[in-house]
Amino acid sequence: MLPWKRRRVAPPIAHDPEAPQPLQPDRSLDVELLQKWMSLARMQQRVIRTLVSEIQQTSAVVETEAEALSGRFQRLAVCAEQQTARVESLSKLAIGIQIDEEVVPIDRIAGLLEDTLSDVVEKILHLSKDSMSMVYALNELNANVGRVHNCMAELNGINRTTNMLALNARIEAERSGTAGAAFRVVANEVRDLSRATHDLSISMNGELKAVTEGIASGHTTLQRVATIDMSQNLMAKDRLEVLMSALIRRTEMLTSVVADAVKEAEVIAADVEGMVTGIQFQDRARQRLEHVVDTLHVVDQALDELKSATEGRLPEASGESSFDVEWVTRLLDRFTLGELRSRFVAQILEGKQAADLDDEAAIRVEPSASGSVELF
Amino acid sequence: MQITVDRDAGRIAVAGEFTFNDHSQFKQMIIELFEAKGSTITIDLSKLEFIDSAGLGMLLLARDEARKNDRQLILKRPGGQVKRMFCVTKFNTLFTVEE
Repeated sequence: MLPWKRRRVAPPIAHDPEAPQPLQPDRSLDVELLQKWMSLARMQQRVIRTLVSEIQQTSAVVETEAEALSGRFQRLAVCAEQQTARVESLSKLAIGIQIDEEVVPIDRIAGLLEDTLSDVVEKILHLSKDSMSMVYALNELNANVGRVHNCMAELNGINRTTNMLALNARIEAERSGTAGAAFRVVANEVRDLSRATHDLSISMNGELKAVTEGIASGHTTLQRVATIDMSQNLMAKDRLEVLMSALIRRTEMLTSVVADAVKEAEVIAADVEGMVTGIQFQDRARQRLEHVVDTLHVVDQALDELKSATEGRLPEASGESSFDVEWVTRLLDRFTLGELRSRFVAQILEGKQAADLDDEAAIRVEPSASGSVELF
Repeated sequence: MQITVDRDAGRIAVAGEFTFNDHSQFKQMIIELFEAKGSTITIDLSKLEFIDSAGLGMLLLARDEARKNDRQLILKRPGGQVKRMFCVTKFNTLFTVEE
């Protein structure tokens, strides 16, 4: 029992002979006024109990939704952390290509490619120059072989003449008889020499023919090599340089975008972390609401005790005061939430107990996936 | 390839396409120019539309021949594909190329 209640409601006050005697107004009016106060007290109790019920339900809803939100934020924090790590990993990928344990930057790859292609181009130029040099050399050699052919033809002519001379000398030697014996020997030697020269000439012609054919074959092969147009291969370097320039530009842009993404991901992670901490407000709110509910319980209890003390001394009143029903109705008309209004009507005007509505309320406090709230 | 030779000025103008098939004609032209007097030989490429790797090789041989004869070979006003080929092969580091 509350102290103030003991002081004011204690019966001895009415029997104290030394206490100042109140005026003796119309007793029936006093009774009517007290009955109105009693009616108001009953209505206030209903309002208090309804408010207590509503606060408890709201607290439960806030608790449940806050826990659900906290869980989601924690998952979001983990995701944000992973996302930051991924973006940082992406930034490494954007800078270059990993070869073994080393990340080689794109511009260095472009430099290596440029050096390699320059080397290839240089070799193609050398090859082209040397091929053309060989072509010119073979042309010269071919001309030389032609001149050797001419020499061989002249040699054959000389040999034919020598052979004719040997034959004529032999005829003349035979005509001279014995006196021409020595001349005959010389004529035979000249004829043998001519035959040997002829045989050598045939052999040389054969060798020369082989050389000529070899030169012709080499010339054909070299021509085939020299006529391979390497200009497209040279231009490939040009195209690759354009491609590498584009790749470097793209990498620079990607690096810039990824750097921004890393910063943003870090900001998001920090914000989510802050939200996870911030969502813990429900603990404090619950404690405050518990104090409010406790206070309302005490007030309700005080009203109960005052009612009990008063009801025994008053004649029984007939139902609710129309005045109380009116102000409660005006109050309820200000409610915009239909569900809330229904509960208040049921508990305050119809006198139903909050426990009767608990099952329904319990269903309502389940966290909804969509988090939808009735507004009107 | 069409060739116009100005022996007195030590200048050649070439037009069309410069490929392997032109090697005999090109050599003859170079020999004729080296027989003429003067310290420089200029090849005007402004009307040359195409050059292949064999053509580049012949120009390099002509450059070597010029050096042997204490002459300077100048390539003048290359354009189009010829200019791109010179650019790719960095011909300006091997020859005096005038725009």
